[in-house]
Amino acid sequence: MAKKFEMTKVERNDLPTRIKKGVLGFFLNAILIIFSATCIFPLVWMFYSSLKEKRIFNADIIGLPKNPTISNYVNILTNKDYKLGVSMKNSLIITACSVALIVFFGFIVGYILARVRFKLNRIMYVMFLMGMLIPIHSLLVPIYLVFRNSNLNNHWYTLIIPYVAFGLPTAIFLVEGFVKGVPSALEEAAAIDGSSFSRTLFQIIMPICRPIMTTVAIINVFTCWNEFSFALVLLRDPSFRTVPLAMTQFTGQFSSDYPKIMAAMLLTMSPIVVLYFTCSKQIIKGMVAGAVKG
Amino acid sequence: MLQSIRPKKRVIFAYLIVPTILFVYAVFVPLITALANSFYEWKGGPNKTFNGIANYKQLLSDSTFWLSFRHNLFLVAVCVIGQIGIAFILVLMINSRLVKLKGIHRTFGFFPSTVAAVSIGFIWTMVYDYNRGIINWFLGKIGRADLQQVWLNNEKWVMLFVAIPLVWQWIGYYMVIILSAISAIDTEIFEVAELDGANAVQRAIYIVLPLIKNTLLVCMTLCIAGNMKAFDNIYVMTSGGPGTASMVMAMYGYNVSFRNSDLGYGSTISVGIFIMSLLVIGGSQWIIGMLSKEKEA
Repeated sequence: MAKKFEMTKVERNDLPTRIKKGVLGFFLNAILIIFSATCIFPLVWMFYSSLKEKRIFNADIIGLPKNPTISNYVNILTNKDYKLGVSMKNSLIITACSVALIVFFGFIVGYILARVRFKLNRIMYVMFLMGMLIPIHSLLVPIYLVFRNSNLNNHWYTLIIPYVAFGLPTAIFLVEGFVKGVPSALEEAAAIDGSSFSRTLFQIIMPICRPIMTTVAIINVFTCWNEFSFALVLLRDPSFRTVPLAMTQFTGQFSSDYPKIMAAMLLTMSPIVVLYFTCSKQIIKGMVAGAVKG
Repeated sequence: MLQSIRPKKRVIFAYLIVPTILFVYAVFVPLITALANSFYEWKGGPNKTFNGIANYKQLLSDSTFWLSFRHNLFLVAVCVIGQIGIAFILVLMINSRLVKLKGIHRTFGFFPSTVAAVSIGFIWTMVYDYNRGIINWFLGKIGRADLQQVWLNNEKWVMLFVAIPLVWQWIGYYMVIILSAISAIDTEIFEVAELDGANAVQRAIYIVLPLIKNTLLVCMTLCIAGNMKAFDNIYVMTSGGPGTASMVMAMYGYNVSFRNSDLGYGSTISVGIFIMSLLVIGGSQWIIGMLSKEKEA
């Protein structure tokens, strides 16, 4: 009874309290809406500005287009010299291959390090863990030298190598932690039933690990698609360029034509934007889990 | 670890060999290469002369390198305060019962962190632009055209101007992380505190803060590591300019190695970046560890 009385005291509803709450609520909501709006504003601004002509945009940068035109998009998509379509294809291939390999290797190595006892187990674990501590941007220059010496730079597959290598530590760490929480009775039962190691690995463990593998995939889709610095040093040939690299080239060329740049940016961002807004819940969950546990 | 599921040695070997080679090749081989080359004078051509620790002597007295290092530290400071601080305040606000559209704030707020740093750099270059930038447009509208300037050419403040996009991009990211930490707290704690007459500020400081301390420390670690490697958006927005006014370590290493093709000294800078980043990250971890112990005692 006493508790109930206390509750009613807190939820007072007289006029001054209601006004106070209303004002407070208004300000809180207003501030948060402004914050959310600034986060999404660039996307909106770029979208409607990309429908303007350069001349009109320069006269009024913020107004809505009076005669919307898709000429910028047509121009970008039909001109082969810009290599934006090619760059999107490159990014798609590299992201898909890298993410697949990170998930696959991360799963296998993570599982083995968690479950199988062998001499080098801890050494390998520490080695991969070190990959998470090493400031990889200090590798920017030397990785160029290493790849050039072994003639691995400037191929369509070049970037897959560092992306997989940099993605592996977190992936292994996440899978290892996840597998440790799975009771080993399953594998024992499978072994008694005569299932081989590989079969148990792929047919029994892999389905169980799907949530953590999804997390690994989500994190790496974004890092691989967005990665810039290693692409910058490892690729020379324009036809292998990924999206961020092609965009720096493109903006350098058309630095005064903002609507065109905006159209190009929206086009190249579109896969990631669509992906994000269609499964934002899953993506946010995965990224947060990866960040906190990693 | 079970005897019954123990596979043959060659099976494990077959599974581990490819990822291990890949990893060693892309991480450890470059590290050793950098160390080896850092003792040479080498302009990228066939001539490579050993010059002992001359490069390291040069590095120690290289004012641009240390300026870049200080800029990285500045970014770390601004971003820890800006990103995590603002994120924490927004979280407190969003958790209020009076706030609506929570899901939208979460989705929209998180969005910038999924965009490439390069794109963020372009967007903000357009925002800062002199003739067609939003800031100057706004200043013109409110009748303060006298404040209009070429923002990214302002030597004195350019570091702050390149830090703002970074802060903006990651607030939502940390906001969501902190939110998920708070949602794990038993809501009864808040109710009891409210019954005991704790106001919102008191609740934030004495209840929320201690309970999500570990999450905040994780955020700080992420933030520090992230800003020591700042490169992409600096490259896009200023390339370290005007002059060296917004130079950061990775950018300087890139310039020396690729624009001046001084690969010997560039390697030395790489080793310098490696050491200084580890020191800052390790040092901050140590301080964080000390602080969290002290509070517990």
